[in-house]
Amino acid sequence: MANLSLRDATKTFNDDGDEIVAVDNLNLEIEDGEFLVLVGPSGCGKSTTLRMVAGLETPTGGSINIDGEPIHRQTPQERDIAMVFQSYALYPHMTVYENMAFGLEESSDLPDDEIEERVHTAAEMLGITDLLDRKPGELSGGQQQRVALGRAIVRDPKVFLLDEPLANLDAKLRAEMRTELQQLQEDLGTTTIYVTHDQTEAMTMSDRIAILDGGTLQQVGTPMQCYHEPANVFVAGFIGEPSMNFFDVTLEDGVLVGDGFEYPLSEEALASVEGTTELVLGIRPENVEIGDDLSGPKEFSGVIDVIEPHGNENAVHLRFTEAATDETFTSTVDGMRHLTGGQSVGVSFPEDAIHLFDGTTGEALRNRIVEEVEQVQEIGTK
Amino acid sequence: MSKPTHSRAESIARILPALNYRKIGLAFVVMFFFAFFISPIWTGFVTAFKTTGAVTSTTPFIPPGLDGFTLEKWSTAFDYLSRGMVNSLVMSVPSTIASVFLGSIAAYGLTLVDWNERLQFSILVLFLVGIFIPYQAVLVPLSDFWINIVGVDGLLEPLGNLPFFTARHSRLFAVTVTHVVYAIPICMLLFRGYYMSLSDELIEAAKIDGASITSIYRRIVLPLSKPMIGVVFIYQFTMIWNEFLFSLTLIGSSSSPAATVTLVLSGLGSDLTGVDFGLRMAGAFVAALPTLIIYVLFAEQFAEGLASDR
Repeated sequence: MANLSLRDATKTFNDDGDEIVAVDNLNLEIEDGEFLVLVGPSGCGKSTTLRMVAGLETPTGGSINIDGEPIHRQTPQERDIAMVFQSYALYPHMTVYENMAFGLEESSDLPDDEIEERVHTAAEMLGITDLLDRKPGELSGGQQQRVALGRAIVRDPKVFLLDEPLANLDAKLRAEMRTELQQLQEDLGTTTIYVTHDQTEAMTMSDRIAILDGGTLQQVGTPMQCYHEPANVFVAGFIGEPSMNFFDVTLEDGVLVGDGFEYPLSEEALASVEGTTELVLGIRPENVEIGDDLSGPKEFSGVIDVIEPHGNENAVHLRFTEAATDETFTSTVDGMRHLTGGQSVGVSFPEDAIHLFDGTTGEALRNRIVEEVEQVQEIGTK
Repeated sequence: MSKPTHSRAESIARILPALNYRKIGLAFVVMFFFAFFISPIWTGFVTAFKTTGAVTSTTPFIPPGLDGFTLEKWSTAFDYLSRGMVNSLVMSVPSTIASVFLGSIAAYGLTLVDWNERLQFSILVLFLVGIFIPYQAVLVPLSDFWINIVGVDGLLEPLGNLPFFTARHSRLFAVTVTHVVYAIPICMLLFRGYYMSLSDELIEAAKIDGASITSIYRRIVLPLSKPMIGVVFIYQFTMIWNEFLFSLTLIGSSSSPAATVTLVLSGLGSDLTGVDFGLRMAGAFVAALPTLIIYVLFAEQFAEGLASDR
């Protein structure tokens, strides 16, 4: 039980005289019992951050504290943390029982019977009791993954660190483990940092998401905040599947002029982008409405390019009829709706649903208006 | 419809596997090299069973006839070499174990333990230099060091009352330590390659589990080194068992009570009457026996260590 904080945590690597900044002045507060997901594309510094917390990398600057006490000068052995690696890193020459008991034997003075009891309790919790006598080499990927989790749980540490633990599982198992892991963390109430590049995992599992790119923190918030109120273009594009549509537009006399469309803004929306003319218009695929007839100034004519059926919904790739380039954008529509490639349709962007970003900095100037957002957030933050 | 009859050549061709000149040529090359390498061993082996008369009267690689056959050479060689074999075992086994163990620890410290990387590299370079110091260059300082500076002859005198032990045996101790020192760099290098291929995450997991540097070595690295220990043990034991120069320099003569098997072997079967080839061959085989036994004992690990290719 602990809260963890990173203050200005920085890590630079020296590569033949070139300094590479892996993590740049990262500030994060993780509450006691919170499940925080660090997410970002590969090379964004999320794993380095995790390794700094674990003590496997020494931060070049800043501090890392558990319950207010700085731990960044301590060795990994001295920090009361447990980590699950992507490769699981099970000791191949030891049985599952020995793997799970190893940490307790090394880090505590518990008597053997106490260790045995704790290992059995953890094994029961994960349903791996009948595997205790086997070696890791005899286990399937999913079973190894459970053992790796068990090895962390049995220690009852202050903080769990999980480094893409589900990356090596097949899709079905991954979805199962996602719920199970989330349930487990809730039951144990241990502060957890979970690193992944998969935004679905981030959205579904976390109490809060921290999105990193290029070593800098882009946004921290509940999944719903990050989804509906992204801080910038990067977050807006990273969170959500299929990802948000972006259009480069210029503001001319209260009208957004893009490639193949002109979008008049309301007074209210204009006020929020005041002074900026180079903008990026963003809209999520589920908000792009496809109709048959064209009426009103916020509807445009488009042509359907390709349809990807997903069963419950279809992802429709469209082009503006009057666009100069071939660039497509995506809309998701009900799976039962009948559309065909090449069909001409009317496309509308409801103003409530559009996001506007600064064209140069990428910062969000106006996010979509969602009435339920307040409510959703409350559920999200618990 | 098949043809009712075949010519003789055709039916032979059907029995033989698809042969072409390439395959035939390859088979001949393999056979040639097999004969090339096996012939000296074979010749030595049959000579060891020949009486002195038969050695001169028969072609070397032809087995002896019934009248020229004897096992006497083997028993003589065995009697003659047994003292040297005991001395060699007393020297080789501890020095092999020590050099394998120390080499593995050094490799662990230079690969899997985090500390100043530059210093690590400089030490690695020192180890590599150690491999290339020629034996001949150190012989004089070495014997001077052991005999005059350390005074190894007097060092182990208190042990002189032990059965079978004479003061001269203390020279064996000097040879043992010398072998360990000389073997550490090459053992370190062999283990280093293996440890570099061990997953970093394994060591990191152990660190996070709270294991200290020593317990990571004892409980994770050492048990995982088994295949490599097999390889290094066989290699090192063979090297030390067969080594001659250090024994010659530090122990001196084949008549010394501390003489190792290679020293004794050098004097076997040659005296004023000439060279007894049968005895020399039998002696060579007897002297090689322990390395063969070690190889068989560790063959499984050896194969595993080579196959894992790490």
